[in-house]
Amino acid sequence: MTVSTDQHKEGKKEVTFRVFRFNPQVDSKPYFDDYTIPVERGVTVLRSLNYIKEHIDGSVSFRAFCQAGICGSCGMRVNGLSQLACTTQVWDVLAKSREPGIIKVEPLRNLPLIKDLIVDMDPLVGKMVHYSNWIDSTMPEAQMGKKEFLISEEEFLRYDKATDCILCASCVSECSILRANKEYVSPAVLLKSYRMSVDSRDSMHETRLAELVKDHGVWDCTHCYRCQESCVKSIPIMDAIHGLREDAIESRGKNDTSGSKHAEAFMTDIEKKGKLVEATLPIRTNGVVWTVQNLLPMAMKMIMKRRTPPPPPLVKSVKGIKIFRTMFREMTEHVKQDHKSHKK
Amino acid sequence: MKPFDIVIVGGGGAGLYAAMEAMKTNPALNIAVLSKVYPNRSHTSAAQGGANAALGNKAKDDTVEMHIFDTIKGSDYLADQDAVDVLCSEAPKIIRELENMGTPWSRMEDNTIAQRPFGGAGRPRCCYCSDKTGHTILQTLYEQCLKKGVIFFNEYFALNLSVGGSRSNGLIAMNMKTGKVEAFPAKTVILATGGYAKMYWNRSSNAAGNTGDGQAIAYRAGIPLKDMEFVQFHPTGLRKSGLLVTEGARGEGGYLLNKDGERFMSRYAPEKMELGPRDLVSRSLETEILQGRGFDSPAGKYLHLDLTHLGADLIKSRLPQIREMAMNFEGVDPIEEPIPVRPTAHYSMGGIDTDNQTRTVMEGVYAAGECGCVSVHGANRLGGNSLLDILVFGRIAGRTAAEEAGKFTPGRISEAELAAQFEEIRGGMHPSGRYERYGELREELGQTLALNVGIFRESSLLQKGISDIAELKERFKKVRISDSSDVFNTNLMQVLELKNMLDLAETVAAGAYARQESRGSHTRIDFPVRDDANWHKHTLATLVKGNVTLGEKPVTMGRYELQERTY
Ligand SMILES: Cc1cc2nc3c(=O)[nH]c(=O)nc-3n(C[C@H](O)[C@H](O)[C@H](O)COP(=O)(O)OP(=O)(O)OC[C@H]3O[C@@H](n4cnc5c(N)ncnc54)[C@H](O)[C@@H]3O)c2cc1C
Ligand code: SF4
Ligand code: SF4
Ligand code: FES
Repeated sequence: MTVSTDQHKEGKKEVTFRVFRFNPQVDSKPYFDDYTIPVERGVTVLRSLNYIKEHIDGSVSFRAFCQAGICGSCGMRVNGLSQLACTTQVWDVLAKSREPGIIKVEPLRNLPLIKDLIVDMDPLVGKMVHYSNWIDSTMPEAQMGKKEFLISEEEFLRYDKATDCILCASCVSECSILRANKEYVSPAVLLKSYRMSVDSRDSMHETRLAELVKDHGVWDCTHCYRCQESCVKSIPIMDAIHGLREDAIESRGKNDTSGSKHAEAFMTDIEKKGKLVEATLPIRTNGVVWTVQNLLPMAMKMIMKRRTPPPPPLVKSVKGIKIFRTMFREMTEHVKQDHKSHKK
Repeated sequence: MKPFDIVIVGGGGAGLYAAMEAMKTNPALNIAVLSKVYPNRSHTSAAQGGANAALGNKAKDDTVEMHIFDTIKGSDYLADQDAVDVLCSEAPKIIRELENMGTPWSRMEDNTIAQRPFGGAGRPRCCYCSDKTGHTILQTLYEQCLKKGVIFFNEYFALNLSVGGSRSNGLIAMNMKTGKVEAFPAKTVILATGGYAKMYWNRSSNAAGNTGDGQAIAYRAGIPLKDMEFVQFHPTGLRKSGLLVTEGARGEGGYLLNKDGERFMSRYAPEKMELGPRDLVSRSLETEILQGRGFDSPAGKYLHLDLTHLGADLIKSRLPQIREMAMNFEGVDPIEEPIPVRPTAHYSMGGIDTDNQTRTVMEGVYAAGECGCVSVHGANRLGGNSLLDILVFGRIAGRTAAEEAGKFTPGRISEAELAAQFEEIRGGMHPSGRYERYGELREELGQTLALNVGIFRESSLLQKGISDIAELKERFKKVRISDSSDVFNTNLMQVLELKNMLDLAETVAAGAYARQESRGSHTRIDFPVRDDANWHKHTLATLVKGNVTLGEKPVTMGRYELQERTY
């Protein structure tokens, strides 16, 4: 039997799903099970897993609900990349598979494993609570429902995209800081925090920000862009992170926070090694905050080719570091000039 | 566990609103929300279109009264008019309330909440946030509940009410993470578990978990279900999955074609063509298929929704979601080829019988949202009225339960009862000898419902449906659960959901067989007209000694007399 055949379409492909298995009741460590099934065009990874569960092995466990890419239940890693199983086409994955004919399916990272492809979402919810990911309305409760706030389309557009987030935790799974520090706020929570903070109905912006600038907060992010690249709703998460940082600097002053110190440490690392000593990024002296705002995103994009941050002793200077340093200094100079002329 | 004042089953729009309102009404109460999925995953998130409220932002002359009339007419006069009054009068307030709490509504030029036209409404009164209205409403409610510190039991699967005499002692549920069966003794229970349209399985636009658990729980506890035969079909579901292709595709000029390449709607609605009312278009598609003008495929017969003539630019700019869906779920790019579609079960009008305060016949048990039936939708729900329903009656449920909790003493659930529940769900996991497969039973249920209790109904078809369901129930006794683990046994959960669907399917088929008329979504080939003399009434299905027993309940009338429903 095939996963829903369709005669008038071109054939089927034999696909082996290499599925991560772990049942805490009996297994001391995880392993992989192979299931080979014929799959035709147009079939998603979730449909294939459903097929495996129904026809081959009913104990394969994963979450799924809407099956339409809207509920965020089915986040998992497919060939190493976190995504929604229900919107991921098997043939598309296959075309890029390193091992021909094999698709590896694993649980999301950075959240505690429960069983097979199921991870615990509670830590993420806990962070949403910790960082007050809600609107604390300026409208007193007793007055609610009487009249609308008047909100411009322009304001709506500021948070429109951020409210697309379905809390699938793909970005959480891909985040490089979370791998080293599980207490880190998490990209989705930064995104939600930002969404709240640009909403004129909210009254607790400052309190939320005060929490965000502490340890494990917004300044810990390395700008590696992995969250944004993996976001299943193509949300520009980095805009939110930049937005929060700008807010923090603006409202709390340049030298007040660990953030600005952190930012400079960033720059030093990049200049010296051409990449960041992410795991132990030290906090150094004050300065050059504007450079971060203007330059860092671009610089990081250029350098962060490798995806996983290695521990410090392994961090070698990237190839072409000399050229890079020259470029980097030129860029810094350029931005400085720009900044000055802007101020005049 | 310490007894709760209120246990709310369901973390969708209805359940979350109930929780919020209950906390507001009496902050001292001990309230818990149970949900089999994280609340933000609930099916409320799938609603794209919007929620109706006569705010008058778009059409200045819109009124609550017009909204009331549209709803009653849309219901084919089966809605209770006093309940509709509540629904529509509360609408503007509740939409503003959500707005005040942070729901990101799309905006008009004058910065008020945007509204758009929707089927069956005389004025553009559907409030929306792009095409993610339900999602953003659910987010707001979840955020506000977290803010208020609502206690959530996420990934708990409700099994049954614990019943003592005329009232309930609380709820029994399985913790998915441990497989343990746990007691939730409570003064009051609010059932808000959503709809049951998933029983049509891959002929349904619903999430996998919309299996009517709350209705089945109430039914097993002896609480009557109302108007179960009314299931709304949407004309354009994707062939393989039943997922919805929204009306937007036809609104932008898409054609419906049969296998002869004919725009067949010219035969059924020569003027409105593809844009006729939902039930009419659904019936037209079904007729084409029944008369052999559909395409064939192993996934079933289907028709074409053709957008190719609209051109790549328009499709990309105006219908990107639909294109993505067609590519993701059918492997078809609508720019190049037509989308395979067929009607799909979309919404359940029927549900747990309640009064206007969401009370059921059992003391201390309330129901709200798609799970309940007040009734405000009657025989046919209008688009945009369901989100409204879950908000308005979710809130009423929360308030009523909070006010009445004090009247009741907390129930007690014995260890023996828990053990019996555990044995019931886990004991028969590996039947000896020949066993039945979950997937097959579920597939067959969906198939017989679609064929025999689907869009067109008829005496002999319904009899076939009823006997098929009975046979499936028999076979279900031998179903095998192939995962023996206690931790997150999703296979066990699927089987429990199937049991609920089987119980409810029986009530849907029985109601459809009894109702010898055509009204709203219920179309009997053998009784093609509305019969107000004999059937202007609700049906009630109650479980008596293991069998469906049908009763009836009068429709509450008001300012609007019965009229023929023409558009
Ligand atoms: C594709 C689609 C589009 C729609 N578009 C619109 C629209 O534009 N406008 C409109 O007004 N309506 C629309 N609807 C209808 C509307 O979305 C639903 O009627 C409404 O969201 C139901 O809300 P609810 O709170 O009653 O239930 P749900 O949101 O379904 O929530 C049910 C909750 O109950 C929980 N639950 C269920 N069973 C159990 C159990 N056994 N144990 C524990 N918890 C359980 C679930 O986890 C969930 O949290 C649409 C429906 C669909 C399918
Ligand atoms: S950019 Fe920041 S938040 Fe995003 S993945 Fe990298 S470290 Fe994590
Ligand atoms: S930001 Fe994107 S990837 Fe992250 S949880 Fe939200 S939708 Fe998923
Ligand atoms: S199942 Fe809902 S997003 Fe995949």
